Amino acid sequence: MIGPFLGVLFDGIAYGMLLFLLSVGLSVTLGMMNFVNLAHCAFAMVGGYTTVTLMHVFGWPFVWTLPMAFLTAAAVSVIFERTLYRPLYRASELDQVLLTIGIAFVSVAVAAWFFGTVQQPIQMPPYLRGSVSAFGISFGVYRLFLIAVALAIALLLIVTLEFTRFGATVRASVDNQRMARGLGIDVDRTFAITFALGSGLAGLGGALAIEIVGLDPSFAFTYLVYVLIVVAVGGLGSIGGSLIAATLIGISDVAGKYYVPETGAFLIYLVMIVVLMWRPAGLFARR
Amino acid sequence: MADALLSLKDVRAGYGAAVVLDGISFDVPVRGSLAVLGRNGVGKSTLLLTIMGFTAIARGAVLWRGEDITRLPPNRRAQEGIGWVAQEREIFPSLTVEENLTVASRPGDWNLKKVYDLFPRLHERRGNKGNHLSGGEQQMLATARALMTNPDLLLLDEPLEGLAPIIVEELSAAIGRLAAEQGMTLILVEQHAEIALSLTDEAVVIERGTIAHRARSKDLLADQATLDRLIGLKVEA
Repeated sequence: MIGPFLGVLFDGIAYGMLLFLLSVGLSVTLGMMNFVNLAHCAFAMVGGYTTVTLMHVFGWPFVWTLPMAFLTAAAVSVIFERTLYRPLYRASELDQVLLTIGIAFVSVAVAAWFFGTVQQPIQMPPYLRGSVSAFGISFGVYRLFLIAVALAIALLLIVTLEFTRFGATVRASVDNQRMARGLGIDVDRTFAITFALGSGLAGLGGALAIEIVGLDPSFAFTYLVYVLIVVAVGGLGSIGGSLIAATLIGISDVAGKYYVPETGAFLIYLVMIVVLMWRPAGLFARR
Repeated sequence: MADALLSLKDVRAGYGAAVVLDGISFDVPVRGSLAVLGRNGVGKSTLLLTIMGFTAIARGAVLWRGEDITRLPPNRRAQEGIGWVAQEREIFPSLTVEENLTVASRPGDWNLKKVYDLFPRLHERRGNKGNHLSGGEQQMLATARALMTNPDLLLLDEPLEGLAPIIVEELSAAIGRLAAEQGMTLILVEQHAEIALSLTDEAVVIERGTIAHRARSKDLLADQATLDRLIGLKVEA
């Protein structure tokens, strides 16, 4: 009885960490820059296909592709931020939604054109395969790796945003753009770096997600719903909130599908509704 | 003027199509200080916003050390050495006092120790969030934050507005020390005409977006009739 429960809990936490990596960038850009980027998971998809391409075409080891997944998604996002997103920073939310949902549709078509509509399997290195046992319970090595990476990134982000001058610059720019500019802060550059960082993390999440949920062109939309739920439940702009919300949603999703397979997929929506009725701005909204 | 730090040449500026300032010209020399006086809504704050680059300039030029900076964005002007203390203080609420001071600091004479010496109260509150300060403390923080950018020119927009008399006294003394002891070049927009005139060398009075009168501050302070006519305030001699 306790064994399967702990197994579900572990899988839920690992899935939650994946959702955290996919969503934390959106939480930062939406919460701090007030930009509604519904193409966020398209950048995750860029990271996923970067890993697939590097492994299949160039024979790179999986772990080496992860920094490239981050960098490629970040680089692509910089191009989009400079050319398409920046002019809409002060536009209405509807304008932002229309632009970014359009980009998401285009990304699906482009991915299908280059990679086809089939799933992209990848071969994990031996040290990330299999499982280890402790307390009579089996833990998947890859899932343990996923949890470690997500926790390390959460820690790094919190330290960066809360305890560095760059983090203070980001928070100052979010608090009051005009005053920040008046003190000499290059707000446009700060937002561009923040946006690239958020998109890069999505790219990393997309690469790490392949082994758990697979990768095909529908990824840009399939996980957008999960990511938006995590951001709403966690609270805009909160790294810790995203981590807790992602864990909650991950556990709810895995547990729901395990214990009540017929209706379990709806459990995450129930969790979201309950949390938002209790705290409409999310668990740890910055504002 | 060859040694002018800042010059405005026949500036016409405002917001979008609305013109607020017209035909504004003056020079501020290095280590000089200028009081900008006038009734509410005549364009005093807009003048500082224009110097910072936040308004649309339809005509004229803003020169900094003789270079035309009319089209330079605000962050570049600040980096060039123009410090700005906004009328509403505009403290960053999610940053602590110390983060507010260091977030845009640049190398120079002004550092944390020096601003804490000038405003000891900020040192006591250095761990507090910016929005957990009194009005007077926020004004001290806004002034100290601008000083931490090590500006060559400091623009102060009604720094004494809405403060208790004892805080007005404390801040006035600090501004006086900045001008007299530190040699800071100042432009001071202020409703408290008598204080502004006692702290500065030169003064201009703005009426309906244009300079209606200019004089040495001490002469204007002594000219009760002109002050009464232009500002509508009795100044206690």
